[in-house]
Amino acid sequence: MVEYIKKDSFIHRLNPMTKIAWTLAVLAMCFIFDSPFAILLILLSNMAAAAVGGIFKNILPVIKGLFVFSLLLILFQIFLVTDGRTLFYAIPYFNMGRVTDVGLQLSITMSLRMLATVSTIPILMMTTPMTDIAAVLVEKFKIPFKYAFMFITALRFIPTFIGEMEQILQAQMSRGYSSDTKNPFKKLIIIIPLAIPLLVSSVKKAEKTAISMEVRGFGSGPRSHYRRIGMSNADYAVLAFFLVCIAVSLMVS
Amino acid sequence: MICVDNLCYQYKNGIRVLKDISFSIDKGEFVALIGRNGSGKTTLLKHLNGLLKPTQGRVTVNGLDTSNTKTSLLAKHVGFLFQNPDHQIFCSTVYDEIAFGLKNTGVNSNDIDRLVTRSARRVGIEQCLELNPFSLSKGQRQRVALASVLAMETEILVLDEPTTGQDYKEGIEIMEIIKDLNCSGKTVIMVTHDMELVARYARRVIILQDGTVLEDGQTKSVLGKTEKLALANLQPPQIYMLARKFHKNGMFKNVYTVEEMYEEIISYLEGEVNVCNG
Repeated sequence: MVEYIKKDSFIHRLNPMTKIAWTLAVLAMCFIFDSPFAILLILLSNMAAAAVGGIFKNILPVIKGLFVFSLLLILFQIFLVTDGRTLFYAIPYFNMGRVTDVGLQLSITMSLRMLATVSTIPILMMTTPMTDIAAVLVEKFKIPFKYAFMFITALRFIPTFIGEMEQILQAQMSRGYSSDTKNPFKKLIIIIPLAIPLLVSSVKKAEKTAISMEVRGFGSGPRSHYRRIGMSNADYAVLAFFLVCIAVSLMVS
Repeated sequence: MICVDNLCYQYKNGIRVLKDISFSIDKGEFVALIGRNGSGKTTLLKHLNGLLKPTQGRVTVNGLDTSNTKTSLLAKHVGFLFQNPDHQIFCSTVYDEIAFGLKNTGVNSNDIDRLVTRSARRVGIEQCLELNPFSLSKGQRQRVALASVLAMETEILVLDEPTTGQDYKEGIEIMEIIKDLNCSGKTVIMVTHDMELVARYARRVIILQDGTVLEDGQTKSVLGKTEKLALANLQPPQIYMLARKFHKNGMFKNVYTVEEMYEEIISYLEGEVNVCNG
């Protein structure tokens, strides 16, 4: 699960804006460079940022998951490129599945680029409370509060649903329900006793939430904000550092 | 029938909910499990049909060790009613909902029909069998859930607050059904916060406090221990509190329910009348 991990690190203390700027800076730099080594370096810098934020251990499983995905990406890409020198064939006997040096480099670059750009998001989410991200999105990026709120609420309901699912599973198991079957068709049918109660209770919950928000005046007029998140000197310094990085990478590449 | 030996349970987040709990329950008992919110009552119940497995210790039900028996198998021995009926209801008719457990345990279709009708009649929802359970009131949905447990004809009934969502009369009706089942030989273990119901129906009471057994004994002897009940955020039934005021006058020594109070007063009055007439 990617959720906020409370710590008091340098990364945690930065303004959410700065961290959003970081994800954009990483994104920009990943597309400025074409060399897999440069992008690998960016990916390593992401890991370093996670380490500074004290969430290195928590980010590893996420990276692992993304890595599997990136391998798939390589697999899909690698046979589609026909330029360049042939390195080997995937099925040598029939000369099928030609892999070229250009194809190999291109697909590795692509998957590294995916890893480097996507891995910033969980780092951002683990070091920044959702409410702070939303506050910044509303105040600085002028996103309507309703949308920001919708987003936070959706995320905040995930653990609730997991708990609910557990309860439902237990209730059905108590009535002799068993979920272990190897038949894939049965697996589809077997989900019904779990899915329907979850759906019904989720809709009910959403309705209750909406009503309880409405009776407390949600959407009745201009909002005030309790928390103001300011920019510190560290934020400006980090932002300046990003600009320098982008400028340098533009010059180098 | 049910044997709990040095049961300890710890959730994955490291919180110890049950600490060294031991007791055994014989066939035909009616046990009320009481205690404040968060004392571990529901966690303990979930061990009785293997939904949770002991971290330490052993729980056996009808000789089956719950730690290596599947819940779906234990379902043939233990019927479990949850607090919230909406966690189980998913069928489009009440009939199918009640039949779900029977189908799971491989009961043949003739028997299913008989058992469904019987348990629906028992809880008073026989006129709702063709209705959609989601269109029923919360109280009726709770009855559907109860019927689906009763239909499975298990020897043991584990009930987690069976009277939630029912008004007073409905609550009593449900308790009368459970009492009848108990009289016909079924073992009942029930969690409740309603001390009137405890005094009226349970024959044995176990008080849980911070994951340990604070008290375990006959209902009347446990209800008399007001200090221990207070520790568990509970109070004896009001009628007992009233009767206690008369203890120093030597009256109402054995009164825990309204019926008992009535009997005592009547016999007292009859005594007075006899004295006057004599």
